[in-house]
Amino acid sequence: MNASHLRTRREFLVSLVFLAAVAAVPLFVTSGYLLGIVIVAMYYALLAIAWNLLAGYTGQFSLAPTAFAMIGAYGTGMASYHFGLPPAVGVPIAILVSAVIGMGLGRIVVPLRGPYLALTTIAFAEIVRHVARNAHEYTRGDFGMSVPLISSDRVMAFYLMLALLVAVQVGLYFLLRSHAGLYLQAIRDDETAAAGRGINVIFWKTVAFTVSGAICGFAGAMYVHFSGLASPDIGHIFETGLVLASVVIGGIGTMIGPLVGGFIVQFAAEGFREFGLRHMLVFAAMVILFVRFFRQGLWGLVKNAWDRLFGQGAARPARQVKEAGE
Amino acid sequence: MSLLRFENVHKAFGGLKALDGVSISLEAGCMTGLIGPNGSGKTTLLNVLSGNLAPDQGDVIFDGRSIVGLQPSAIARRGVGRMFQITRLFRRLSTLDNLVTSGCAFGLSFHDALDRAERLIEELELTAVHDEDGGNLSGGQQKLLEFGSVFMGAPKIAVLDEPFAAIHPHMREVMVRFIRERHAEGHGFLIVSHDLPVVLGLTDDLIAMNAGQVVARGDADTVLHDPLVIEAYLGETAVS
Ligand SMILES: Nc1ncnc2c1ncn2[C@@H]1O[C@H](COP(=O)(O)OP(=O)(O)OP(=O)(O)O)[C@@H](O)[C@H]1O
Ligand SMILES: [Mg+2]
Repeated sequence: MNASHLRTRREFLVSLVFLAAVAAVPLFVTSGYLLGIVIVAMYYALLAIAWNLLAGYTGQFSLAPTAFAMIGAYGTGMASYHFGLPPAVGVPIAILVSAVIGMGLGRIVVPLRGPYLALTTIAFAEIVRHVARNAHEYTRGDFGMSVPLISSDRVMAFYLMLALLVAVQVGLYFLLRSHAGLYLQAIRDDETAAAGRGINVIFWKTVAFTVSGAICGFAGAMYVHFSGLASPDIGHIFETGLVLASVVIGGIGTMIGPLVGGFIVQFAAEGFREFGLRHMLVFAAMVILFVRFFRQGLWGLVKNAWDRLFGQGAARPARQVKEAGE
Repeated sequence: MSLLRFENVHKAFGGLKALDGVSISLEAGCMTGLIGPNGSGKTTLLNVLSGNLAPDQGDVIFDGRSIVGLQPSAIARRGVGRMFQITRLFRRLSTLDNLVTSGCAFGLSFHDALDRAERLIEELELTAVHDEDGGNLSGGQQKLLEFGSVFMGAPKIAVLDEPFAAIHPHMREVMVRFIRERHAEGHGFLIVSHDLPVVLGLTDDLIAMNAGQVVARGDADTVLHDPLVIEAYLGETAVS
């Protein structure tokens, strides 16, 4: 077994344990309010997982995850509002539309790197949001569109969201285990080297954007069928901040980090809610702290502690990650 | 018929003519050394070959058809294996995964790639860093790993840019032996190196470049005694 597969499998198994624990929540928690918080946490976890596929595994720091959530939200929202289509039709439409737009965006930004990619995708996200705000006849602008609930039963909605989360995590595991996982990581580490070894960089980057966009769109569509409202706030830049914070705090480039990070950030955001947008300051500070001192996030801390207690770490000092250019 | 032909290739960076009408022909299974002073255009020529740079003018014919305008990945899969002057590898993938990734991308099944990677790791004496991330390897080990990655495919021509720089003499021997074996199996080689003794130990077919032009081509004796080559290496005063 090779190192990448071992790493991925270990993270996947831990994430399954975590998801099993989440599945047990409705057995102990009956408060609809608390279940709602966990449902929203799952939504953030989905966006974090999707963004991590792009940023953590493929090295593409796109800043448009919530724009795709919004595209998914409006995809199903408009299908329902204008044509009276049920979620069973609206959600697949939402996935398809966000996948296609993800592919288009991916294809366009393929040659862009670093800050240029970030700026282009943030511009894209803002454009999408402003179109949604201003195309009143289609989107009802800032009022948003009311959308039917996927289920009036909170527990049912909870398990539907969980099913989506599990499906995405399992799908991602198989993607990462296949040669595609190695190709994406190769592109992240060195695009020129990847191309020199025969990896079709354009194709695989586009795949990453498409899959990531589809997951975000799926999550956004499910989210509005839970909250009942498709509004431009879904694509707000603060929301993107929360997604990025989830990934960085949980551990970027891992299967478990964004999942757990999404929950942590949502719970913290809920706890700080009374302070209004000032809670963003806390997340900003946390992100800076993690980027500066715990580059591998919480999962990195857990793994190092584990290794030190039980593993190779005991035999030799914790491995330092060499910086590029040494 | 030749395997690789550069036909009157030009490439300028602003006012600087990095390649100024280069024409070279290489046979299948060649073993050719490309020499020339710093800045003479060797790496630029390799960049044009591997598709990392588009020539301003001229053509590159590989295996019977023009490869100008093809993606670098497509050129690599056609059989141009490239090792870069500044080491390029996958820093956060292990030594084994670096090789396996290249193998899969070159068309091997995962299991075949794994087999071949394990053999290469032994041959190139990288066993001690088998599971270490590429970024944690020493400079020399990184070069060996990149060298190995090229041979995860079946390059019709392996294009190596300064493969021996910063390599311990013992490992250089390992590389030279490895190159000889692969050459005997039919792989072609184009080797850029400032390490003339090692190049001469490998081949008698030299190409000398200076200021973006090929100034001499032939056996070592002819090339190294060519007045233009001497001028390139020693400066104009040596000839006049
Ligand atoms: N991307 C680039 N942009 C601008 N100038 C470049 C670029 N690449 C190469 N050059 C210039 O082209 C000339 C040839 O460079 P090249 O790297 O091909 O030389 P070289 O023969 O490989 O030298 P060395 O032996 O030092 O590796 C140099 O003067 C270099 O400055
Ligand atoms: Mg060079």
